[in-house]
Amino acid sequence: MTMMRSMVAALAVAALVAPAAATASWSMRPAAQESKVSRGRMAVTPAIAWNEWSEHQTKYTEVWTLDGLGLNELAFFGGVDAGKTLFRRRDDKYDPLPKFRADMLLSDIPELFETSARIVLRSSAFEIDAVAPAKLSGHDAVRFGYRYTVQDEEIVRRGEGHAAIVGGRLYMITFEAPQIYYFDRDIERVRAIVASARILK
Amino acid sequence: MIGRLALGASLIAILLASPAAAQDAPAPAQANPPAAETGPYRPHGVDEEGLWMEVEEYERDLKHSKLLIRDPDINAYLRRVLCKAVGDAKCAEARIYLVRNPYFNASMAPNGMMVVWSGLLLRMRNEAELAAVLGHEFAHYENRHSLKLFRDIRAKTDAMVWLSFVPFGQLAQIGLMGSIMAYNRDMEQESDLASIGYLAHAGFDPHAASQIWQQLRAEQDATAAARRHKSRKDKNGGFFATHPNTAKRMEYLAAAADAVVERSDDFGREAYRAALAPHWAMLVEDQVKLADHGGTAFLIEQLAQDGWTSDLLYAQAENLRLRGGRDDYALAARYYRSAIAHADALPENWRGLGLALIKDGQSDAGKTALARYLELRPDADDAALLAMMAGAST
Repeated sequence: MTMMRSMVAALAVAALVAPAAATASWSMRPAAQESKVSRGRMAVTPAIAWNEWSEHQTKYTEVWTLDGLGLNELAFFGGVDAGKTLFRRRDDKYDPLPKFRADMLLSDIPELFETSARIVLRSSAFEIDAVAPAKLSGHDAVRFGYRYTVQDEEIVRRGEGHAAIVGGRLYMITFEAPQIYYFDRDIERVRAIVASARILK
Repeated sequence: MIGRLALGASLIAILLASPAAAQDAPAPAQANPPAAETGPYRPHGVDEEGLWMEVEEYERDLKHSKLLIRDPDINAYLRRVLCKAVGDAKCAEARIYLVRNPYFNASMAPNGMMVVWSGLLLRMRNEAELAAVLGHEFAHYENRHSLKLFRDIRAKTDAMVWLSFVPFGQLAQIGLMGSIMAYNRDMEQESDLASIGYLAHAGFDPHAASQIWQQLRAEQDATAAARRHKSRKDKNGGFFATHPNTAKRMEYLAAAADAVVERSDDFGREAYRAALAPHWAMLVEDQVKLADHGGTAFLIEQLAQDGWTSDLLYAQAENLRLRGGRDDYALAARYYRSAIAHADALPENWRGLGLALIKDGQSDAGKTALARYLELRPDADDAALLAMMAGAST
């Protein structure tokens, strides 16, 4: 029902979008060296080199990949303040995302992530599984697995998140990749990166 | 996920957002609807054959979609309701696909592919309303609206190419775009009015069609009030709207229903509730997780008009707990406890109760509730974390 309007809108923004996409760039995060992420709020030490995407969706996020974002996406959410959302809000007034609250418990974080993801992906085929206690930079943390499929794409993506609440801020690292091949290939090196994480500020 | 949220990705998403809807909104050509008696309708001419080919490709993919709800009972029910509305001979030409998507939408392609989103089922209160929507969509097919819209767009966009060479061309283009949309709205009205005939034919109260819009507008008010913005009930895109304004729809649908001479007062409420019963929990959960707390509360209260079941109490409690405002946790705890008083309450009520109580400052009672949940669901996905929480603060 909304297709025509979407088309008009899409055509209208196409011209604006093209330059933005064209200016996105990549830089290398070297192997075996500690890298600061999320504006220096965390640091991690990857065993192999990763590519950092110049596009920072919010001031807390930073995204790395090995082969391209569709195949593996490692996202850092560094020190999300209370009252802020996990993803960029496209339409805060009419389609708002839930906000991180300082009174949240670790068990709330997978729920916050799921709700936010269902809204931005516009998909109900998003499930959290295996929520377990963990550690992040020495702090009590939660580890959760997830899976999702987006309408009209149909690839099953699998993900894993590690999150801690420290000093009223949310620190989280998520990794996601197609369930077939890519997730299993990279999850162990991602867990090693999570194990190396230090929360700095 | 962040990668796909970036601008470039979202442009693709916009274009792909509702492929079915492209066909859905479409309208009429000649006044010769597919004649069921002469066998299934086939496309005529290159325009129509081309449209069918594209849609058939989409339909092949849709058949394998992980988002399809394949439960045979609910699918058979949708078909029965469509057949009741449009007649057994005609309904054989439609293929219905129920897609798990929490928003309110349905669409119809020119080749007979009808797509219904699960969020629509949550918003219908009875079989008559469902029949009105399915009948409306079927009328798009019957009147070959897709083809007509396609031809209209092509004719007018040809003009746009020409106009863009002359000064003020862009203004003229905007004018043409508006006329395409107006054409689209006319087709929607034609389908709306056809649905009234179908309702009467099926022996339902034809007022069901206008009631859908009444409810949708009330839901939009509830969403707006909770989010503190003006209700969008009268916003449908204005000049570029593909559908008539919902207030107008409500008005002309009600007038058309009043004009039906032999009216039934049957809405098929019981039949609808029985058919949907096994699916409420999932439909409500998908709605709760949209974090539209005002709209969700409205929908749950609508469903609870026949009485609060344990599923509805649980949904309301979860909606409050996720909203997490002042007093919400205490209120959520009350709903969880009311749900638990029902024999068929989900064990997840204990989980919610525990978390709500801990947030409300009742740590010991919260831990006891979490422990109870773990007794009932020792294999829960989050058992390890909750066990830590249940033990940690004791």
